[in-house]
Amino acid sequence: MKTYVTKRILQMIPLFIGVALVTFLILSLVGDPFTQMMVNPRIRPADIARLKHQWGFDLPIYLRFFKWFWSMLTGNWGLSIFAGGRAVTELVGHAIGWTLKFSLAAFILAFVVSVPIGIYSAIRQYTLFDYVFTGFSFFGMSMPTFWFGFVLLMIFGLKLHWLPIGGIMTPGMESAPFFARVLDQAKYFILPVIVLSFFQMGSWMRYTRSSMLEVVHQDYLRTARAKGLPERTVIVKHALRNALIPIVTLLGLALPGLISGAMITETVFAIPGMGRLTLNAMTSNDFPLAMACLLIESYLLILGNLVADLLYAMVDPRIKYS
Amino acid sequence: MEKNEILVDVKDLQTYFFTDDGVVKAVDGMGFTIRRGEVVALVGESGCGKSVASLSIMRLIDKPGKIIGGELLFEGEDLLKKTEEEMRKIRGSEIAMIFQEPMTSLNPVYTIGNQISEAISLHQKIHATEAKKRTIEMLHLVGIPEPERRFSQYPHEMSGGMRQRVMIAMALSCNPELLISDEATTALDVTIQAQILDLMRGLQKKLGMAILIITHNLAVVAEMADTINIAYAGKIVESASAKDIFKSPRHPYTYGLLQSIPKFTEKKTNEPLPAIEGMVPSPYHMPKGCYFNPRCPCATEKCREEEPEIVELTPGHLVRCFHPIES
Repeated sequence: MKTYVTKRILQMIPLFIGVALVTFLILSLVGDPFTQMMVNPRIRPADIARLKHQWGFDLPIYLRFFKWFWSMLTGNWGLSIFAGGRAVTELVGHAIGWTLKFSLAAFILAFVVSVPIGIYSAIRQYTLFDYVFTGFSFFGMSMPTFWFGFVLLMIFGLKLHWLPIGGIMTPGMESAPFFARVLDQAKYFILPVIVLSFFQMGSWMRYTRSSMLEVVHQDYLRTARAKGLPERTVIVKHALRNALIPIVTLLGLALPGLISGAMITETVFAIPGMGRLTLNAMTSNDFPLAMACLLIESYLLILGNLVADLLYAMVDPRIKYS
Repeated sequence: MEKNEILVDVKDLQTYFFTDDGVVKAVDGMGFTIRRGEVVALVGESGCGKSVASLSIMRLIDKPGKIIGGELLFEGEDLLKKTEEEMRKIRGSEIAMIFQEPMTSLNPVYTIGNQISEAISLHQKIHATEAKKRTIEMLHLVGIPEPERRFSQYPHEMSGGMRQRVMIAMALSCNPELLISDEATTALDVTIQAQILDLMRGLQKKLGMAILIITHNLAVVAEMADTINIAYAGKIVESASAKDIFKSPRHPYTYGLLQSIPKFTEKKTNEPLPAIEGMVPSPYHMPKGCYFNPRCPCATEKCREEEPEIVELTPGHLVRCFHPIES
């Protein structure tokens, strides 16, 4: 197991470099931000050349890549071109904090709701309960998030005035006492967390249900019942443990999403998270920021896959990595 | 404990399956008895209801199946009248069962030690270390080498024969009065099959529990069973001591089964092996009269109209036939 983990981590190094290269090349295709300035008659070509030199855009592309990659590794992520010249690390750190809060809440809500319902649906297959939540999960999976988010904002924000229409806290609450601040933020959390968790809820419910259905007809459950175990133990100890194996993989794959955020939902609810930061960086040609965001997200995906693989070996004794 | 005391008395058991295509009478009026310490075989073709009968004794029939009639007397008490809670106390402790597929009958994510000691601590309410000790004793008893090491192994680390030994250890861990073996050797290689049968016979002598062997293979029970019940289409058609069944079968079906076993003592090897003509009747369309009449060489008009009752021809030899073969 230890050698396997070491091997996997070593294998990730070329993957990391490859992903960085592809990210860098794709963004280079767009051109540099200074070429666009040429259409502006008020900027002299000499100034553009000076800017290009200052930002290193006059170097050959491979040198630019290595310089960029080295500074990424050493933690010098540069300055954002358009966000007032603030450090990329600072912007990203701030956005990750917000994204984590929302996505973690949504992740936990989705898990806590979907897994028990999925199990119960499987045990009570083809009952009213099962049909209602099958309908619910298809609704959740097929609902476009931007539309669903707007509809919720319209009903609960604009019509009923129960909840705020986006943002992260009421202005002026930054210096309020801790509990008042938490209470205030909770109101802002409700709608985005519902929208974020809805999709995952739907699909996890289906996965849990089908995985559980596969297990409930296994011979070893008959053995467990023949031992005289109460039905609760049969389901919770013997069935659930097996049914959760594929679910754990799903959870591992959902991990990168916790940090990369959701572009659409964050935009709809005006949350200053990673999703919105990435989107803004790309639409405004903010190269240092966009490259940092893309790189972080793709690295998280690779790490998430590793975590899923390792979790898989932990929950299923039949899987041995060697 | 009296040797001849009746332990299990199955009377007119009816277990039906209510499927979308109609009612399947998997077990329809089956009856047999098991004495304390006796080895009883229930033999029949696939679909004759033998497995359903054994699961009925454990009251482990899943939907859409349901036990709709009869009595299941165990130590004089009707299991069908017990609550689920009372049944749970009997399962695994007084009646234990081993199944056909050793590969899938053990939970893949728990160690075998965990799975055996689970049953022990459930029924005997003893401490975990005691249960572990007892588990290792049981593993040793069923002939598993290095039981301490095997305790913490997973089912996938063992062969089919070993897993079936684990199943037997689990079933016997609480000293049951009755062990039901549902085709327990069918999925194993012939040599392993012989080993497991030997083991069961040895343990039966040692521990003295009664065994109900469910099988389609008469050869499996020839040496082991005291009494053999032949089942056909949900009913017992012949019941007698193993000696009588093999020496003088009275029901044409039993006779056919015995004829279809290859004999190596006879010299004429190029004659085809006799088989019973036809197929087991579809459970949705049972024939009128005796269920065996479409395949029976001795069938008469009466067999096609009336259903025979089971009668005792000679002491201890019961046959359900209007025209039993002369002994």
